[in-house]
Amino acid sequence: MISLRRKKSILAAVAVTSFALVASAVPANAEVGVSSTEIKLGTTVPMTGIAAPGYSKVAPAMKAYFEYINDNGGVYGRKINLVIKDDRYIPQEAINKTNELILKDKVFALVGQLGTANHLAVTSKVRIASRNIPSLFLNTGYSGFADVKKFRTSFMHFPTYVAEAKILSSYIKENFTGKKTCLLVQNDEFGADAEKGFATAGLTFDETVKYVSGTQSATTAQTWITRFAGAKCEVVVLFSVSSATAAALGVASAAGYKPQWILGSVGADSTTLKIALNNPQAQALLNGAIGVSFMPDALDTTDEYVKLFREVNTKYSPGVDFDTNVLVGMNAAMLTVQALRAAGQNPTRRSLITAMERKGSTFASAAYGNLAVSRTSRAGFTGYWFGKFNLAGALIPLDAGRTVYTTDSATGPVTKASAKRAALPAKGIPTNS
Amino acid sequence: MHKLSTKKAFVAYFLFGWLLLIVADRVDELRVYQGATIAVTTLAIASIILLTGYSGQVSLGQGAFLAVGAYAAALSQTFWQSPFWFTLLIAILVSAAFGFILAFAAGRMSGPYLAGTTLALAVGLPTLANQFSFLGGETGLVYDAGLPPERFGEEFTLYKWFFWIAAFVVLIAMFLLRNLLNSRFGRTWKALRANSTAASLCGVNVAQSKITAFTISAGVAGLAGALLGMVSIVAPSAFPLSLSFTIITGAILAGVTSLLGSMLGAVILVVIPEIADVIAHQLGDSEKITTNLPGFIVSVLLILTVLFSPNGPAEAMRKRKEQHAKH
Amino acid sequence: MRQLIGTLLIGLTLGSIYSLMALALVLVWRSTRVVNFAQAGQAIVTTYIAYEIVTRTGVFWLAVLFAVVAGALLGAGVEYFLMRTLFRHVDEGPVAALAPVIATLGLLGVIKSIVGMIWGNDFRSFYPPVSTDNFVLFGESIPFSRFNVLVILSTTVVMIIFSFIFQRTDLGLSLRAAAFQPEIARLAGIRVGPIRTIGWVFAGVAGAIAGVLITPNDVLSPASLDVLLVFGFVAAVIGGLESLPGAVLGGVVLGIGVSFVLNYVGTTLIFPTVFVVLLLALIFKPNGLLGAKKVRSA
Repeated sequence: MISLRRKKSILAAVAVTSFALVASAVPANAEVGVSSTEIKLGTTVPMTGIAAPGYSKVAPAMKAYFEYINDNGGVYGRKINLVIKDDRYIPQEAINKTNELILKDKVFALVGQLGTANHLAVTSKVRIASRNIPSLFLNTGYSGFADVKKFRTSFMHFPTYVAEAKILSSYIKENFTGKKTCLLVQNDEFGADAEKGFATAGLTFDETVKYVSGTQSATTAQTWITRFAGAKCEVVVLFSVSSATAAALGVASAAGYKPQWILGSVGADSTTLKIALNNPQAQALLNGAIGVSFMPDALDTTDEYVKLFREVNTKYSPGVDFDTNVLVGMNAAMLTVQALRAAGQNPTRRSLITAMERKGSTFASAAYGNLAVSRTSRAGFTGYWFGKFNLAGALIPLDAGRTVYTTDSATGPVTKASAKRAALPAKGIPTNS
Repeated sequence: MHKLSTKKAFVAYFLFGWLLLIVADRVDELRVYQGATIAVTTLAIASIILLTGYSGQVSLGQGAFLAVGAYAAALSQTFWQSPFWFTLLIAILVSAAFGFILAFAAGRMSGPYLAGTTLALAVGLPTLANQFSFLGGETGLVYDAGLPPERFGEEFTLYKWFFWIAAFVVLIAMFLLRNLLNSRFGRTWKALRANSTAASLCGVNVAQSKITAFTISAGVAGLAGALLGMVSIVAPSAFPLSLSFTIITGAILAGVTSLLGSMLGAVILVVIPEIADVIAHQLGDSEKITTNLPGFIVSVLLILTVLFSPNGPAEAMRKRKEQHAKH
Repeated sequence: MRQLIGTLLIGLTLGSIYSLMALALVLVWRSTRVVNFAQAGQAIVTTYIAYEIVTRTGVFWLAVLFAVVAGALLGAGVEYFLMRTLFRHVDEGPVAALAPVIATLGLLGVIKSIVGMIWGNDFRSFYPPVSTDNFVLFGESIPFSRFNVLVILSTTVVMIIFSFIFQRTDLGLSLRAAAFQPEIARLAGIRVGPIRTIGWVFAGVAGAIAGVLITPNDVLSPASLDVLLVFGFVAAVIGGLESLPGAVLGGVVLGIGVSFVLNYVGTTLIFPTVFVVLLLALIFKPNGLLGAKKVRSA
C-alpha cells in the first residue's frame, strides 16, 4: 500500500511538472505584440449570449476596417491582426479571455472592449494599468473610466452615461413637463451612472424599473411593462442594452401600451431590434421614439463617413447588415489606426499611451466633436444630437441644423457645442503621424 | 494497510511544495496562472471528496460555499481592512458556520432532496449580490492579496505571487485534511459511508457526524472560494452553477475517495481545455467547435468514469491489488 | 387590482411550463429512481429540432409533432443505452448510488456541447403559433394572450392524458408497481425493463413540450433550458417527487411565487426566492404538498 501511495504522489508531481515544462519561451522582441510585419491587438466582446444580438457585430467590424487598412499598406508597413475573444458579457469570462490575450496571444494592446462591469473587472484583476497594457476606445460610457488615476491605460470611446442622462434630462424638462416620466435601467454601474446623471440634472421619475443584466426576456419585460402601464407612465426612458430595449418595445406593442419612448443611445439600434425580436418589421416599433446619438445615423448615406464605412463593410464583411454597431466598430478601428500611427514608426505601449494623451483630441472620426482625452482625462466623445426614429428605424435630426449638445460628467450645464467635425481622411485611410 | 507517518507525510508535502516553487520559477506566466487555478481547484475538489467520498452526502451546490467564503473574505477586507491571512480565516469560519446552519436545516434530507436544495442554493445565492449594494452587484467586490513584496524584484509577477500564496495555503490545508481523515473523524465517516445502520449500532451518532462533515466541507470550500476570489473576482459571475458542476466532475474524475486524487482532478480540468484547443485547431478552428470541445471532452470523460471506474482510478487500483493478493 | 390579476396570470403560465418539466423529472424518478439532469439536454435537442421545422415550414404543429417524437425516442435511447449499462456496472462502492445521477449530469454536458457544435451558441427564437397580443378586459389590457391560453391548455391536456394512463390502464398499474416494488412486480410477471423505458419515453415527451412552449417567450441557446431544469426540479421536490399531481401543483405554486417576486420585488430576488420556497416546503411538508405519509428517504 505504501508503494501505491508513493506512486500516486510521484505520478501527480510528474504530471504537474511535465505540464508546466511545456511552457513556451518569451520572445525577445522590442515590444510585446509588435513584429516587423505585424501588430497584434486583442478584444473581448459578447459574441454569444444575452448581449450578443447587435454587439457581436462590433469586433468583426473593427477587423473588417483593419483588413481594409492592411490592403492599403497597413500601419507603417505592419499589418494589424485583431484577435477576437467571446466574453459572453460576463465579467469572469472577460478576465479569463483578457488573460489569454495577454499571456497566450501576447497582444500589443486591447481595443474596443464592451461592457462596464467587464472592464471594471478586467482593470481590477488583470491590472492592465500597473502592467502598462493600453486599452483603447472602450465601447462603454461609464464615467468612472475617465479617471486617469484609476485607469491610466484605458481610453474611452463613448460619451459618458452621466453626460447622456444630463442631456436627455434637459430635453425632457423642456418638452414633457408635467407628464408622468418613468425609467428602465440596468442594475449595475451602467444604470447607476445614468441615474447619477438624471439626479444631477434634477429629473425625478415616477417609476424606475431596474433589471439585472442577463435576465432580460419577454417574460421579465412583461413585468416591466405591467409596472409602467400600472403607474400610467406617459414618457418612458429606456436606458438599457439592445436586447432589453427590444424586449420592452415588443411586449409593450403586444400590450397595446404606447407611451412616448425615449431611448438611450446604447440600446437604440433598429437592425438589432429585428434580430432580437426575430421580426423583419420590428424596427417599426421604434417609430416616433426620441433618441440621441454622438455619431451620424447608420442609415444616413449622405454622411461621408457612413458612406465609406458602408463600402468597407460591403467589401470585407459581405452579407452583414450595416448598422450602428458596425459604425461604432469601424469608428473605433479608424481611431485605433490613427493612435498607432501617432505612436511612431516603432510603437511601444508607452509611446501609444503618450500619443493618445497628446494627439488623441485631433483624431478624425465620424463622431460629432472631438475626443476629450488629455493628460488629465481619459474621456471619449462629449456631444449628442437629438432625433426621432422613422418607420424604417432611421434617426432623423429634430432640427435641420443638427444641434449638438455637450456637457461634462460633473455638475456643469448642458450647452450647444461649437466644435466642427474633422473631414474624412482621403479614402478613409489616416495619414497622420 | 500501511500509512505514511505524519512526520514523513509532512516531509513529503514540504518537498512537493519546494518542487513547485522551483518549477514556477522556470515557466511561462500563463502556466503560473494555470498553476494557481489548479491549486484552488484542488482544494475545492477536496471539499467534495470530504463530503461525498467520505460521508456519502451529495452536494450539487458547492459553488455556493465558495461564494460565501469569497464574499466573507472580501467584506472583511473592505470593511475592517483585515490583513490577508485573517480574511482567509474569516472565509473558513463564515462558510463553515453557513454550512452548519444549512446542514441543520437540511438534517433529514438525503439523496435527491439534499441535491435539490444545494442546487437551488448554488443558483440563488450568488444573485443576492445584485440585491444588496454593499455586496457590489454584478461588478463585485475588490479583494486581493496585495502586491508581491518589493524585495522579490521586478521580475516577480503578480500571478507568481498568487501562485505562491495559493500553493502554500492549499498544501497546508491538504496536510491538515489528511491528518483529519486519518483520525477518529475520518474513520467514523468511512464507517458511515460503508453502512450507516451498522455504524449507528456501534454507537456512532449518524446525524451529528453528517453535520460535522458538512460543516468542515463547507469551511474548506469557503477557503477555496477566497483563494478563487484572489485569483479572479468576487462577483456573481465567478460562481455560476457550472462551477459547482465542474467541481463535482473533477471529484469524480479524480476518484471521489482519494484526497490526493483531487490534485489529479484539478490538473485534468485545467489541461483538457488546452488539449481541446489543439484538437480544435486541427479540425479547422471553427468557433463552434473551439468553444464547445472542452465541455464535450470533460462530459464524455465523466460518463466513461462512472461507467467503467465509478469509484475512481485509485479505488480501482486498490481493488485490483486486493484481488491480486488473494490469488 | 390590474397588477394583481396580471401577476397571477403570468404566474399560471410560467407555472404550467415548470409543471411539465417537473412531470418529466417525476416520471423518470418513479420509474428508475434517478434524478435526470439530462432532461434539460434532451429538451434542448427537441427544441432545436422544432426550431428547424418552424423556420423551414412555418408550421408550428408539425414542429411540435417532431419534437414530441424525438423526445420519446431520446428518452428511450438514454434509458436503454446508458442507464441499463450503468445499472449493470455499478453495484458497489461509495458512489454507486450517485453514479446514475452523475451520468445524467455528464450527458447534459455532452448534449449541450454537441448542440453548440451544430447550431452555435448564438441566440435564436421562433414565433408562437398564435398571437401574443394581450387580451383587453373592461377596456384594460391584461398580460394574458392567446399564447398563454395555449400553454395552459397544453399542460392540462398532457396532465389529463398521463393521469388517465396511470390511474385507469394496465400499463399505468405496471408503471406504478415497477416503481414501488420492482421485485414483486417482476414476480407478478411484469417486465420491469420495458416498463422503465416507457417511463423515460413519457418524460421525454413532457420535456419536449415544455421546451417548445417556453421558447417563443424566451430565447433558444444550448443553455437556455438550464433554468427551466432547476425550476422544474424544485417544483418536483415541492410536489414530493413521487406524485404527478404534486409535480403540477408544485410547478404552479413556484410559477406564481416567481411571478409575484418579479412583479413586486424585482428580478434580483427570483433565485433566492426559489431556494427559500424549497427549503420551507421541505421543512414543513417533507413529503411534498401531496406526498404520502411515508418517511422520505432516498
